[in-house]
Amino acid sequence: MIAERLQKYLVIGFVVLFFVYLFGPLIVMGITAFNTSAFPRMSPWDCFTAEWFDVLMQDARLMTGLRNSVFIGLGVVALAVPIGLAGALVLMQARPRIRPWYYTITIAPILVPGVVLGISTLLFWDRVGLLLGMGVDSIFYNGVFLTIVGQATFISAYTMLIFIARLQRFDPVLEEAALDLGASHVQAFRKVLLPFLKPAIGSAAVLAFLASFENYNTTIFTIVQSSTLTTVLASKVRYGIDPSISALAVTIVIITLVGAVMYEISQRRQARKEKAQQAVARGELKSMTKQRSFFAEPAFIMSALIVFAGLGIVYFAGTIGVDECKAIVKAEKQAQIKLRVERRQQKAMFERTAEQIGAEQPDQEDVQDEEKVKAKGTEGYEGIFAPQNLQEQAGDSGVEEEKVKAKGTEGYEGIFAPENLQDQSGSNQ
Amino acid sequence: MVSYWKNFFLKNGTAVALFLIISVGVWLFMMIILPQLFMLDFSIRANVPPPKFGTEEHYYTLEHYKYMLFGSAQASGTFNIIDLTVFFRTIAAAIFVTLIDLALCYPIAYYLAHVAIGGWSRLMVLSLIVPFWVNEILRAFAFKIIFGSTGVINNVLIAVGVLDSPYDFIRNDIALWAGLSYAFILLMIFPIYNAVESLDKNQIEAARDLGSSWLRIHWRIVVPHAKPGISSGCTMVFMLTAGALAAPQILGGPSSLWFTQIIYQGFNQAGNWARGSAYAIILLISCIVLVLVIMKIFKVRFGEMMK
Amino acid sequence: MSADVRLEDVWIRFGDFIAAREINIHIQGGEFFTILGPSGCGKTTLLRAVSGFLTPSEGNVLIGGTNMAGIGPNKRPTALIFQNLALFPLMTIWENITFSLEVRGASKQERRNRAEELLELIALPGQGEKMVNELSGGQKQRVAIARALCAEPEVLLLDEPLSALDLKLRQHMRTELRSIQRQVGITFIYITHDQGEALTMSDNVAVMREGVVEQISDGNSIYDEPDTAFVASFVGENNRFDGKVSSVSDGIATVDTAEGTIKARLSANTDSRVSAGDDAFVFVRPEAIQFVNGTAADNRMNTKVYHEEFEGHFWQIFLDIEKSQKRIKMSYVNDGATRVHSRGAELAIGFPAQSAIALPQGALAAE
Repeated sequence: MIAERLQKYLVIGFVVLFFVYLFGPLIVMGITAFNTSAFPRMSPWDCFTAEWFDVLMQDARLMTGLRNSVFIGLGVVALAVPIGLAGALVLMQARPRIRPWYYTITIAPILVPGVVLGISTLLFWDRVGLLLGMGVDSIFYNGVFLTIVGQATFISAYTMLIFIARLQRFDPVLEEAALDLGASHVQAFRKVLLPFLKPAIGSAAVLAFLASFENYNTTIFTIVQSSTLTTVLASKVRYGIDPSISALAVTIVIITLVGAVMYEISQRRQARKEKAQQAVARGELKSMTKQRSFFAEPAFIMSALIVFAGLGIVYFAGTIGVDECKAIVKAEKQAQIKLRVERRQQKAMFERTAEQIGAEQPDQEDVQDEEKVKAKGTEGYEGIFAPQNLQEQAGDSGVEEEKVKAKGTEGYEGIFAPENLQDQSGSNQ
Repeated sequence: MVSYWKNFFLKNGTAVALFLIISVGVWLFMMIILPQLFMLDFSIRANVPPPKFGTEEHYYTLEHYKYMLFGSAQASGTFNIIDLTVFFRTIAAAIFVTLIDLALCYPIAYYLAHVAIGGWSRLMVLSLIVPFWVNEILRAFAFKIIFGSTGVINNVLIAVGVLDSPYDFIRNDIALWAGLSYAFILLMIFPIYNAVESLDKNQIEAARDLGSSWLRIHWRIVVPHAKPGISSGCTMVFMLTAGALAAPQILGGPSSLWFTQIIYQGFNQAGNWARGSAYAIILLISCIVLVLVIMKIFKVRFGEMMK
Repeated sequence: MSADVRLEDVWIRFGDFIAAREINIHIQGGEFFTILGPSGCGKTTLLRAVSGFLTPSEGNVLIGGTNMAGIGPNKRPTALIFQNLALFPLMTIWENITFSLEVRGASKQERRNRAEELLELIALPGQGEKMVNELSGGQKQRVAIARALCAEPEVLLLDEPLSALDLKLRQHMRTELRSIQRQVGITFIYITHDQGEALTMSDNVAVMREGVVEQISDGNSIYDEPDTAFVASFVGENNRFDGKVSSVSDGIATVDTAEGTIKARLSANTDSRVSAGDDAFVFVRPEAIQFVNGTAADNRMNTKVYHEEFEGHFWQIFLDIEKSQKRIKMSYVNDGATRVHSRGAELAIGFPAQSAIALPQGALAAE
């Protein structure tokens, strides 16, 4: 009995730990979005603020990237949904001997590293452009075009899988029935098969857009001179991190959550409707009661209220008293630093008297804090590119100095020198 | 063959048939097959600037593949130790990450499919999707925050008294492994979940009724049933981890490069596209071969795996 | 409008497998024609050849005298009711019914009017706005018929449409189908493996086995005058005796069997008559077997009761023949006077030679 109970607790503990692992990082990152500290962190907590969202909105590069990402996402949807649909329909009709080959080739792009897809797309269209004698300003060298094509290569495989799953539930007899009733093949396709596939078209479009939106590995090669949200993010994150990125993550998580809730609501509506229909068929219900509109669902209203309340609280709490709080924190920090400096001076004096000169390194934590307070004055977005901030934000791994120094001599051939190797892992652009 | 196409057009109608042929044709040839072949062609030619393509200077050569093995001609060592080390470390780390994910996901998938009850299980499955749609970069960013020297983990460990000074998780690759395991965890959990869920609960109960231990139930009944899901999960996680770029760029310690980063440098810094292509092909082929070998060992067929 | 359907020397092959071999059927216009056979006998294949979903490997399909070669299913004057009905789940009832008008580009008003007419016909007036899921099995059945009729076909093809219904409803729908057919007056070709459906509804029945038509005639003749051992064993219940014909005279064959000498009439069909020296099967219906009280009778046998079943309006007794231990079945009408025969009771039975039929040996229906 005890062993069984223990086992049960162990299982539950494991599940809880798993979900902590899954959500912990996102939650921590979410919290850092509301801390005034220029380095995204949860503790020590400085002041509650919503200012990082403003910083986010005013980031021109990010916004350009976002616009490109949306445009590319729509382009990928326009390309990958019809291709995936056609791919699935062809699979259903392919001859048994060909089918496994066809399936393997079409599914392969999912497994092929994104890097490889990006490179091959880039090279292929480069050659096509060259063969057609097109210039560098032609579409074949356009980052947006290349990215759409490159992403659609594997996203079409995703959409195809969605269509296959849906088609497997399609009764081909329905198409025959339509033909038998005099429909042409096109009519049977449009009036019977397409309506059946409609939900799959919807989910394929959503999936294609999301997959495109978050893609990095392929995009980084195909985007050439242009940028997307992910490439901008990646370069920002690699050069140093600041809480406006956390703010972006919070925004995305909230949008995802809202989407998940909406999806769940619509699923439940569908299930309820089917149940009612069956009841009608069995004669238990006289007729279908009219369903209330989606926006009148209690679950929807509840979640909308929660989102609005949350946003309101964040907005008010984030604007009221931030400056006062910041001033207090600053004063506290300065006092602390003063204290530490004094203590260090005392220590140094003590050490000097003990004639142990320079044996001990200054406490790194203190140095950081000092720099942070210095950087506070120039706080704001541009500030993160200031060298002292860069150092501070990237932590204290000690490589930063080398990084800054090595910047000028960067080059491919150089990577085999060990010290450069280190450098490029952090800052290749 | 002719009759097949005739029938194809007859069955679908001309308009639909054309749509199908053009879409699939463009996808298969212009997007999948030809680009890969072009990349292969590119990788076995000398590295020259675009205007010289097709000229005599653009001759066929295996120098880029040789470079991977032996380094440049001037180099003193016998082997290209640096690239080879990075390559094998990448593959080994990808296998390691795959195993971590498998160990994490199998119990969870089983729990969600057969232990958790109705609404809860549904909610948990739904909530799994949320982290997946957060950008890959942002996920890596989150790990950078929590594993940083002033991050939550260091703060907690110091507060509890386990550590005296911050531990450098980034430099020791722990952040990278955690981040990579996290990045593709859902590609492991969903195939296994789907496979385990389709197992008839009665089979488990019958086995338990016959006196089987839990371990044996899993080993003899659940795992064999879920094998296709497990292998497709492992394949996806392995391939994507080996081909990952964002997480190593962000979380990688200063001394550990990922193989994709070398490819990336070849393209974006050295401008040596030919060598970059050759390295990409090496990565692609070795990953495929490894997956095929492992599938052979565990007797999994590709067809049943991708269901 | 009704058209006749003619199948001329139709062969249908799938690779090496022959699904239909040398089929010759002529179905009159306005006839209710049933193709009866066990599953896998090729009856659905034949129906698909008529509706145009597959092309015969050899031979012709003519509808109303026109050769249908090269004419697709959407251009043929046929409508098919599918085994699973194939109602469009995403359309309402009235949209389902008038789909054939929609594809012809009829106006919405016209379609609604026609839908209402057909809903009247199938006794579902005013239900057009419902979805398919909201209907019961029998209602779906009727909607499928209405949808097919809306296309104004000259021939209606029905592929085991009642198989999914429960017994009561199935019996009810038989009557209903027959009355709809009389009302609209078009040719019905009905496919089933259920002999009850075949016998009750049809003007004519074709019995198929492994791609071959064994017999075509009206329901009565199929039951009373089977041409082959297969038809005799497949349609209705039959007791079978194996033996060798010793002599034939006056249309009566004398067959030596393990149960003794049995006299049985010859088939009405000259092709399936046996002659002396042939191996033969003798078939006797359970209801043809009578109790014998002392007096001599044709084909008398002594038996022991094995088991008795009460079926409501008749009794069924399983008997073991003393001579060979062969088990046979007899049935008699429940006339109210209960005559319970206990197990092991001795019973003398017999049957007139005219009620037994001797047929050449051949393939039998699976038990």
